[in-house]
Amino acid sequence: MVLEKKSSARVEADSRRRVLDEATRQRRLSRQLEALEKDNFQVRIAVPWILHQLSMTTPLSSLPPPGPTARLPTFSETEEPEKKRRKTRGDHFKQRFRKNFTTLLEEENLSDRAEPNYLSAEALPSSLPPRLFCCVCGFPSHYTCTTCGGRYCSSKCLLTHRETRCLKWTL
Amino acid sequence: MATLVLDNGAYSAKIGFSQEKVRVIPNCQFRSKTSRLKTFTANQLDEIKDPSGLFYILPFQRGYLVNWDVQRKVWDHLFGKEMFKVDFADTSVIITEPYFNFSSIQESMNEILFEEYQFQSVLRTNAGSLSAHHFFSSRPSELCCLLVDGGFSFTHIIPYCRSKKMKEGIRRVNVGGKLLTNHLKEIISYRQLHVMDETHVINQVKEDVCYVSQQFFKDMEISQMKGEENTVVRDYVLPDFSSIKKGFCKPREEMVFSGKYKTGEQILRLANERFAVPEMLFHPSDIGIQEMGIPEAIVHSIQSLPEEMHAHFFQNIVLTGGNLLFPGFRERLEAELRALAPAHLPVSVLQPDNPICYPWEGGKLLAHSPDYDEIVVTREDFEENGHFICEEKFDI
Repeated sequence: MVLEKKSSARVEADSRRRVLDEATRQRRLSRQLEALEKDNFQVRIAVPWILHQLSMTTPLSSLPPPGPTARLPTFSETEEPEKKRRKTRGDHFKQRFRKNFTTLLEEENLSDRAEPNYLSAEALPSSLPPRLFCCVCGFPSHYTCTTCGGRYCSSKCLLTHRETRCLKWTL
Repeated sequence: MATLVLDNGAYSAKIGFSQEKVRVIPNCQFRSKTSRLKTFTANQLDEIKDPSGLFYILPFQRGYLVNWDVQRKVWDHLFGKEMFKVDFADTSVIITEPYFNFSSIQESMNEILFEEYQFQSVLRTNAGSLSAHHFFSSRPSELCCLLVDGGFSFTHIIPYCRSKKMKEGIRRVNVGGKLLTNHLKEIISYRQLHVMDETHVINQVKEDVCYVSQQFFKDMEISQMKGEENTVVRDYVLPDFSSIKKGFCKPREEMVFSGKYKTGEQILRLANERFAVPEMLFHPSDIGIQEMGIPEAIVHSIQSLPEEMHAHFFQNIVLTGGNLLFPGFRERLEAELRALAPAHLPVSVLQPDNPICYPWEGGKLLAHSPDYDEIVVTREDFEENGHFICEEKFDI
């Protein structure tokens, strides 16, 4: 029993500490960069209760329900044909172009094109070594956090980093 | 016939008739915290009394037009009776698109302009081509120019030789105004005050206090100092949208270096943030984007072009776009290029007076040029030949 307790506390603490591997660190970085491309921080402004109620009650309202009947061509002479054509056109556009950037990029099949294109125009990686900055205060840093690979400049910043961001991405 | 020039940027549209002046209008829709039921379009932004927590609905994603619903609403507003009162049947439009625009986006653009709005004629082009036209008509003796177009989504480097776009030399650095604002938002939220929802306010902070450092590590040292010695630090008074409508920098003599302000305003203290944020234009690798900075990418672009042009390109570098407006940007770029360029070639970087509207002004000149009618596609042409004729005539 006495023999089992012999292992040092430091070694034990080290083995308990989770160390992120290179792939995870890369994933965290790309998630951070992805976040920098967001238009808004919150996903969307919460729909006020009244709007929600409105949408719940639409089937009961006098408006015709949206569905195949709305699509049938009508031949009434009274309505302006010009206006109607524009409206259906709009719907058509909506359906056809509800695509995001990634889908559009994939559809273009740029990787096997020879002429200069979106993909080939991207600037290459720099030939200079990256400069390193403390992820807490932003000043030049000399040390790497052993757990997550983040940079820090002083033991004060390391403490802040451990408490806030190490192994989690708070913002 | 009137000509409408529309430089359709991902964040702001620069629009105006070729006889009139340009207006810069947000190319997006907004929702505000206070009036939740309403969506505000483009310059209706001015109607929002309290733009804190402003929610953006943008038609562009990574610089490319994807959300046509939003774009149509903004255009309806711009072309409509509240703004430009466009008589489509008697109007020609010059409209800009991003470089290497996707063909599907180009086709929908054709269809919307000709079939939905029914413009009499259309010229689709790149903002750079308009800038180049502007440059070459003000300096007819120059043969080449290299445009640096810093926008909301990214920064492009585009070489033009005798108004012809050299596609093989185009380079894109994925650092734009949105990324800089978001990064500033993020570091402020981590270091002092949660402002993640305040894109609009922080964008203003960025425009008011950020600058490009001429000696980066020297400024880093200065911004680390305490008290009066720290000439970099600024205190920014945040707007509360009741008594303070717009944020501003505290004058240096009113700054309190230790302790708190007695006045109740909300203050952001900005030190290395001021120049570390725009620094990403020069070193995207600072935040882990594995790309060259602008100076390196310019040299790389020029080196990919025929050698006899190099001298002309290094001498005529033109900065356009709002994201390159940071004080000190031109000087720093010139200094870095001087160090990278071959010693026998002179380097000169030119920043026009209004880099945001430089392409628009070029479009205005183009609209008045005698061969304008040759380069447009008319509605009859399009109805006859479809997308093919646009592909033939427009150089996107």
